[in-house]
Amino acid sequence: MADFIQTLILGLALGGVLALMGAGLSLVFGVMRIVNLAHPSFIIAGAYLAYWGFRLWGIDPLVMLPVAAVILAAIGVLLYRFVFEREARSAKYSEMTVLLTFALAMVVEGALGGMFTNTQRVTSPSYATDAIFIGDVFIPTGQLYAGLASLAIIGGLALFLKYSRFGYAIRATTQNREAAELLGVNVNLVSMASFAIGIGLAGAAGALVSFVFSFFPAKHWEWIAVLMSLVVLGGMGSILGTVLAAFMLSVVAAFVGDYIGSTWSTLTFFLALFLILLLRPQGLFGEKPELA
Amino acid sequence: MTMSLDQTSSVLAARKAHNEKLAARADKTRAVWFPWTVLALFLALPALQFVGNYNYVLHLVLFTACYVTMASGWNILGGFTGYISLGHNVFFAIGGYFAGMILARYGISTILLAPLAGVVCAAFGYLIGRVTLKTRGPSFIISSLALVMIARILFDHWSFVGGANGVALPATELPLAWAKLPYYYAFVVLAAFSVWASYKIKHSKFGLGLRAISKDEIKAESAGIDTRTYKVLAFAISGAFVGMAGAIWGEYLTYIRPNIFLLILVSVNMVLMCILGGKGTVAGPVIGAVLIVIFNELFVATLGASEINILATGAVMALALMFFPLGIVGTLARSGRLPRVLNWD
Repeated sequence: MADFIQTLILGLALGGVLALMGAGLSLVFGVMRIVNLAHPSFIIAGAYLAYWGFRLWGIDPLVMLPVAAVILAAIGVLLYRFVFEREARSAKYSEMTVLLTFALAMVVEGALGGMFTNTQRVTSPSYATDAIFIGDVFIPTGQLYAGLASLAIIGGLALFLKYSRFGYAIRATTQNREAAELLGVNVNLVSMASFAIGIGLAGAAGALVSFVFSFFPAKHWEWIAVLMSLVVLGGMGSILGTVLAAFMLSVVAAFVGDYIGSTWSTLTFFLALFLILLLRPQGLFGEKPELA
Repeated sequence: MTMSLDQTSSVLAARKAHNEKLAARADKTRAVWFPWTVLALFLALPALQFVGNYNYVLHLVLFTACYVTMASGWNILGGFTGYISLGHNVFFAIGGYFAGMILARYGISTILLAPLAGVVCAAFGYLIGRVTLKTRGPSFIISSLALVMIARILFDHWSFVGGANGVALPATELPLAWAKLPYYYAFVVLAAFSVWASYKIKHSKFGLGLRAISKDEIKAESAGIDTRTYKVLAFAISGAFVGMAGAIWGEYLTYIRPNIFLLILVSVNMVLMCILGGKGTVAGPVIGAVLIVIFNELFVATLGASEINILATGAVMALALMFFPLGIVGTLARSGRLPRVLNWD
């Protein structure tokens, strides 16, 4: 029984981090219909910011988090202005942007690799390797803090989307772009803001990732399909769905890893992605099968 | 209001005559001698070995020919049919491992096994395509990426094929000056065959159906095209070409290992070559392959680092997508400035 609870806790802890990693991806897809394959590479960029902040000046990654988020959001604004805005009128927009973000992921990977080499890095604040024991069960504090921080950020995002006026505009654009524009929403501004928020969330997730996983520039290829599986299972564009999917799949993956073998736990995500795309392309919480 | 039989046949005859006239006119704008001359030149090129050591030149031509084969194969699905796959190196791996394992166990040359590897890849392509081609657009691209991830994990942990360490293959016993020759000819012939085949496919009824699917799948379906079968067949055929290239590539490198075949850069190169040269054209993948190989060699020679290579590949891809979505051949053809020697369609 202790084993069972232990696996469950480890799965939930992983899910907390993955939820934030996937949230930005989901937001960007919802508003702009861009499948941002470069998202994980921005997470890695955020992780490097946190890593060097800690290594050079001893700044805690949790303090570095907003800094990383703001820097990456600024990059997001530039990317939107100079790259994605002009693609908006392209005939094969969705396929075009998938390929474009794929190319972008390579650019980011190459740039990070050139600057920081391909050594595996991990930020090591004291809590990263600590654990809290409750009876026989232990909770790794690094993952606990990361999970809590991630839930706090997602909670904040949800409140912003639900209650602020700009959040209304974002949700309206997600639901129906043309109608939102007709009703006076500045769709272009909303798109730019949500792209920046999405990339900023990647930066924030990167700061958490930096002390939970070890990372190197090419690591994003391992994550892209994992994050895609969350976003697709949750229903493309539904942030709540992404968060729930993150918890579901990481708990399943934790059990698969425990009972079958750790090799197969990552395979859970990929197989899930495959099955969902085929059986229920709109995901668990999505409404229209837009991508099918 | 039914037409009588000989009225119908006279309409058909007139249409046939008209089509032949169009084909004859198209032939006049084409310089068929050019590809044949290039092919003859490449077949004669190894004679250089009599006067000196030009193994590097042979390697470059061989490498380009390998990518011409793969990019032309990819083009059948990605260019003609409009389904962009970022996972085609899975077929590269299947072809390489199939032929490589037989070579390692029974000593049969992969050059002989290549057609068989193509058939095996086509079979896999058919089965995978039956499943993944139910999705469309971005979903298909994502599913193709997931396919690479799954294949990578499976090959990395499959002990029969050596897991992540792979399997060493016997090296050729030819003297150094001639060691590349069998692979050189195999790849040049394979590349020529793939270009010829993609021309034939593009102008067949099958190819017409594929192009209709890429324009508008729903309209194609309502026009009576069995889109499901067409797509899956295109997937299988394009996988077969990539698999044949993979089969010989393994023996040429004397090694099969997941991180030779299942690198994301391999499938990106295929996509990039087609986009740069011109998706859906016959000459596009060839021009793209030549450009990318030259480009890679320059970067490796001057800068060396693979990180810079990844950065540059990504940057070129992004710029090409933003400013040149039709590729070189497509852009020139649209403005009517395509030189006759490059008009292979």
